[in-house]
Amino acid sequence: MTAFLLRRSLAALVMLLVVGTIIFSLLIIVPGDPAELLLTTGGGTTTPEAVAALRETMGLDQPVLIQYLQFLGDTLRLNFGTSIIDGTEISQAIGLRLPRTLELIAAAAILALAIGIPSGTYAALRAGSAFDVITSGIMALLTSVPVFVVGTLFIYVFAQILKILPAGGYTALSDDPAAHFRALILPAVSVSLNLMAIVFRMTRASVLEMRSHDWVRTATAKGLRRKLVIRRHILRNAMGPVITVVGLQLGILLGSTVLVEFVYNWPGLSGLLVTAVEQRDYPTVRAIILTVAAIFIVINLAIDILYSVLDPRIRLK
Amino acid sequence: MKNDHKQNGVDRRTVLMSMGAGVTALAMPNFVYAQASDKVLRFGLSTFPPSVKPHDNTGQAANTVKLMMLRGLTGYDADGKLSGELAESWEMVDPQTYVFQLRDNAVFHNGNPVMAKDVVFSLNKITAEGSSAFLKSDLSSIASVTALADKTVEIKLSSPSAVLLDLLANFNANIIAEGSTDEEFVGAGPFKMKSQERGVFIELERFDDFYEAGKPMVAGVKFIAYGDENLRYAALEAGDVDLIEYLPWQNFDAVDASSTLKMSSAVGPFMFLLFNVTNPDSPLANPKVRQAIGYAVKRQDVVDAAFAGRGEPLLGFPNPPGSPFDLSDPSREWSYDPEKAKALLAEAGYPNGFDCTLLATSTYGMHQDTASVVAAYLQMIGINAKLDLPDWGSRVTAGKEGKYDIAVHGTAGYYNDPDSVYTLLHSDNPSYLQSFGFKSENIDGLLERGRQETDVKKRKAIYEELATAYFEEVPQVPLNWRQQAYAMANNVQGFNAYPGFLTFASPYVVDDTSVE
Amino acid sequence: MNMSLPIPKRMVFPSILLILLIVTPFAAPLITGDDPTAMAIPQRFAAPSFEHWLGQDEFGRDRLARILYGGQVSLTVAFVATTIAAVVGTLFGLIGAYFRGPFEFFTTRLADVVVCFPPILLALLVVTLFGPGAVTLIAVLSVLYFPAFARIAFAEALRVSALDFVEASRALGTPSRRIVLRTVLPNIAGPLSIQYSLTAAAAITIESGLSFLGLGVVPPAPSWGQMIRGARAFMNQEPLGILIPCIALTLTIYIINFFCDRLRDALDPKGAQGAKDAISQPVTTSQKAPDLPSDAVASVRDLRLVTGPASQSVDLIADVSLTLRANECTALVGESGSGKSLTSLALMGLLPDVIRQENGQLLLRSKSDGVVDLGKTTAQGLEKLRGNDIAMIFQEPMTSLNPVHKIGFQMVEAILAHRPMPKDQARNEAIELLELVGINEAARRFDGYPHELSGGMRQRVMIAMALSCQPKLLIADEPTTALDVTIQAEVIELLQRLQREYADGLGLLFISHNLGIVSEIADRVVVMYSGKIVEEGPTDVVLNAPKHPYTRALMGSMPAAHTDLHSSRNDRLAAISGTPPLPMARPSGCAFRDRCPMAIAACAEHIPSLDNVSDVHSVRCIRADEVVTA
Repeated sequence: MTAFLLRRSLAALVMLLVVGTIIFSLLIIVPGDPAELLLTTGGGTTTPEAVAALRETMGLDQPVLIQYLQFLGDTLRLNFGTSIIDGTEISQAIGLRLPRTLELIAAAAILALAIGIPSGTYAALRAGSAFDVITSGIMALLTSVPVFVVGTLFIYVFAQILKILPAGGYTALSDDPAAHFRALILPAVSVSLNLMAIVFRMTRASVLEMRSHDWVRTATAKGLRRKLVIRRHILRNAMGPVITVVGLQLGILLGSTVLVEFVYNWPGLSGLLVTAVEQRDYPTVRAIILTVAAIFIVINLAIDILYSVLDPRIRLK
Repeated sequence: MKNDHKQNGVDRRTVLMSMGAGVTALAMPNFVYAQASDKVLRFGLSTFPPSVKPHDNTGQAANTVKLMMLRGLTGYDADGKLSGELAESWEMVDPQTYVFQLRDNAVFHNGNPVMAKDVVFSLNKITAEGSSAFLKSDLSSIASVTALADKTVEIKLSSPSAVLLDLLANFNANIIAEGSTDEEFVGAGPFKMKSQERGVFIELERFDDFYEAGKPMVAGVKFIAYGDENLRYAALEAGDVDLIEYLPWQNFDAVDASSTLKMSSAVGPFMFLLFNVTNPDSPLANPKVRQAIGYAVKRQDVVDAAFAGRGEPLLGFPNPPGSPFDLSDPSREWSYDPEKAKALLAEAGYPNGFDCTLLATSTYGMHQDTASVVAAYLQMIGINAKLDLPDWGSRVTAGKEGKYDIAVHGTAGYYNDPDSVYTLLHSDNPSYLQSFGFKSENIDGLLERGRQETDVKKRKAIYEELATAYFEEVPQVPLNWRQQAYAMANNVQGFNAYPGFLTFASPYVVDDTSVE
Repeated sequence: MNMSLPIPKRMVFPSILLILLIVTPFAAPLITGDDPTAMAIPQRFAAPSFEHWLGQDEFGRDRLARILYGGQVSLTVAFVATTIAAVVGTLFGLIGAYFRGPFEFFTTRLADVVVCFPPILLALLVVTLFGPGAVTLIAVLSVLYFPAFARIAFAEALRVSALDFVEASRALGTPSRRIVLRTVLPNIAGPLSIQYSLTAAAAITIESGLSFLGLGVVPPAPSWGQMIRGARAFMNQEPLGILIPCIALTLTIYIINFFCDRLRDALDPKGAQGAKDAISQPVTTSQKAPDLPSDAVASVRDLRLVTGPASQSVDLIADVSLTLRANECTALVGESGSGKSLTSLALMGLLPDVIRQENGQLLLRSKSDGVVDLGKTTAQGLEKLRGNDIAMIFQEPMTSLNPVHKIGFQMVEAILAHRPMPKDQARNEAIELLELVGINEAARRFDGYPHELSGGMRQRVMIAMALSCQPKLLIADEPTTALDVTIQAEVIELLQRLQREYADGLGLLFISHNLGIVSEIADRVVVMYSGKIVEEGPTDVVLNAPKHPYTRALMGSMPAAHTDLHSSRNDRLAAISGTPPLPMARPSGCAFRDRCPMAIAACAEHIPSLDNVSDVHSVRCIRADEVVTA
């Protein structure tokens, strides 16, 4: 186990380096000059001298290779530096934003699992029944309605007409816990819908497959109560694939809650990333990508470990 | 455009403003609203200010925030008229010399009085070598700034300027305490920074020692950024904010019909087409082709499709509403006339039209929609324009590097004077806001003369000439004015949008705004 | 399931839907004459009319034309991108999983690196680099989704290649390419097809999401995402505008999901069947009181099992009667499909729910309740009987134990299901049982997993588990077929020893097609053919003087040396041509007459009855008397 973790950590470090290099090069070739963009925000005018002056302040007048080496050095020292747009500490901004995105994802995941697994199991055990057909239909609907439509609809109904929930935004938990959770409801539900459908489908398929295995018959032949057969010998085995998919989705969600954060003005990491890309705030983009990549690697590792726990036949290598 | 020119002309030698009229006018509201002053105005912005620097132009959202924290020598009152801010009064000693008298009670947020040396420091910082200040080139005509006394400052110009006072009223001409930097600055505005989170909100609190007694009338302003226009409106309707800028055009009707919301709008910014004219072989290098495009687009359709009908066709030179001059003349306007457009195309040697790209941006729906309608109309005269819709950042670069044939853009000047198109047309200042490679000594000359001429009649003649040159040489093809609206809850009092190009200076009126 | 088979019935409807879905947008010019890009701004938001069936959008364009032409774009983008992602990803996953080593490292890490980039960022960067448009979109989506396929293919392939049959074919020297294509790929097709449908669906929504951010298809070319983007701003005033593309999206995704579900079922039929764990409840049609001879532990009377819809049901088993006694081993013998396993499953109350009991009575002597009629027992009652009074060992020891639970857990579970006791005590009992069935280091094995044991060991565990509650009757369904010869002998020996030493007289029902083993273990032999008992009697009588031609054929298939037969996993008869008839295609009269060397015209007339040829021996053949022992 220790050797395994050590090897994976080393691999992770190499991966982060690769990711960092890729993102650095991508940003170099993407058009758009942060200095000019900043000075012309919203369609204003500027002058070439002003742009040149600002570029110098931003450190963009350095040769690319120097910038790259500097970036590598800073990264290895875990120093993300400051935003070239407004000079704030990037690690501070990420520290502020990341927990919110994680909270959003966690709330959505809990909701998705809490509904997706039982309903998927039930649908599989009653494959072909009315429940199965209707639930599968609803879940297909959930995967197909874009989140920004759902979001707009939710806001229209719950905020604009009923006025029972805020249209968007964020209140810190420490400021007002009630307001905090009220603002969390709509975005979390919106994120969870798609995830829920995925969990449902994966669970249903997995349970369908597992329930026809010989060991299920063995368990029944032992005289186990049906509930136990389902729980221990169908669901337990079905969780492997479900966990893999959910884990993968969670990782992807980290960087793709963008639309939800946008629609609900949820001040998470994705929003920061999109703004940073729009403003060509290179250091911030790089820092966020590296952070997301690191978390993703950790999630992957966790899935691998969990998978080996769930299925003892899989050995960690 | 319907404005006559008798009001605030630049021939006004001495303007004594503020103290007298200001105090009487404002004493009442102050008394009335003294009880409600614990209210915070929650203001929904269209985007979060990328950075707030006293003299750099980083967009409308940043300018709004800066207007709350910082002030310059001059500004605009609730009617959009030029007024004194830190300057209590001023005098034009001669066309190239102005003397400003600072308010006695003007103090910075750190408690120090606003002194002439601070003005010297600020204006020199703007015009300094290597400065990225927005007004650096506009104010480069300042030859010297001198502190004549603690509260008296003299500005000497290298050439006369008809618009100096307007330039100084710009939200990028702020006076900051001597020794301030772009990042760490001390201003003298009505509010001071309380807290902020990048990308999310900025919270300001009332500066109790603001020089206008009894103002501001709210305890603070909380700016919240809503990038999604639908949400910005929804947040207003849900009561999450009191006031929003950039009311989406499709929601004008809803606000009109609402019993709890109201809006204040003004026709101000305008949309136009730009052309890449560098390649002499390109059809677009030929003014006749650009004129043909001018005749080819039915502008009311642009207004209807991209702005939900909230705007006006713009057929000629973009003389702002509220301008001192009436420059309208049907002989230099592009009415919708596809036959004429085709004839001009044929005359230019393109009877069957041609293929080209039409650059806009997907970041702003109004740009994309405008481009869609324009492309459809160009198609009708045989010009096959392929849309190119990158994100805003790439759009700016493409514009600057001339990677387009035709481009859609929209903007506003900063004051209601034809001179405010100076930066949009003068070739000394090439930017993505200008047709790539376009250079006309005639137009440049007219712009310079107009700016330096202080005689109203002569100025008008110059701008008449400019409007004709604009029509003939076609540096841009104008499309339409758009209405720019602020929407607010009924309990917001005293806020109104400023007319014409001043629309983006409207936040000055927050001084007079209260929340019941 | 063989792909060359005609399209299964269940695939017809989804296939038609899918074809319709794909064809309709491309038939757009036949459906509407309108140009999807022609604007008529004065008519913006016009309501549906005869000219414009779905009305006009915010530019006055015809919505029907836009939804159809937009469908062309959206579907092309989604399917092309998903297919590229699926092919590339699966390839990566398979190569990584099968060859391991550096391949594994390369493929998994490459996928990981890609996944590290948030999709929107990737899209943003790629679109900024190459400009928006359908081709860019396909590129983005393919890159975005191939890691998911790679990862799933990798994980599943890893799981599948750990399975014994893949390891076996590898050991047999089957070329890697063949193993991957023939063995691994079909087995992971299920999860992959789900991923395909999820991805295709997601690709369509991502297209709309990217269009929403302005990174999708370039206007004026229509796409559904663009339509949603355009209509969203007006959604409060003009709900139809957003409803139409959303319905199109939902319908499309639903059809894709539907098709992929059915496809997976077809590729991997085990998931689709009414499922083995759904059980059909036994019934009783006998008016007789439940009554058993004193030495009997169970009996089957006039059992008839059918399948198919009530109107055209097919007999799987008919007229089967059996009495199983304590201290006696009854062998049920016959080829595959003879109905021997169904008979035993009926006794366990474990018939799959597609099979119904139409007739007969199933009786069991319960330790606590005396004689029980299964037909009158509730589902909960059956749970109490199973494992407690009647236990079963299955054919495949490799798959009969749950791979994710420790052996001890599965044994303790069996004990505690019927005999509440402290965990420690259950553990001790389980270890004792493991020792009893001859497992070395039982205490260590208790904490091990099934995959750490050989097939023979696992079958011993199954036997120990079956005996954990001291049942009256033990059913062993071909318990040695999957094992190699020496192990077979050991397991048989174990069963014999257990029966001898078992305290209270265990009844053993031993199911086999292998007369060699039967002759060693069984006291009585019951031969079944095509759902009926054809011969029954004491082992020595039946095997020494078989009266039924089928029994003789079975005997004839037995090689001289038992061991050779033991190693054969093929239960086809060597001495006799043909295969048993399918239940729905039995010949008239005697079901065996097609293959019978002695068949005469009279055999076709009526089904022969099971007649006594001696006190203990009965045969179902009209020419039984003519059969001379060879």
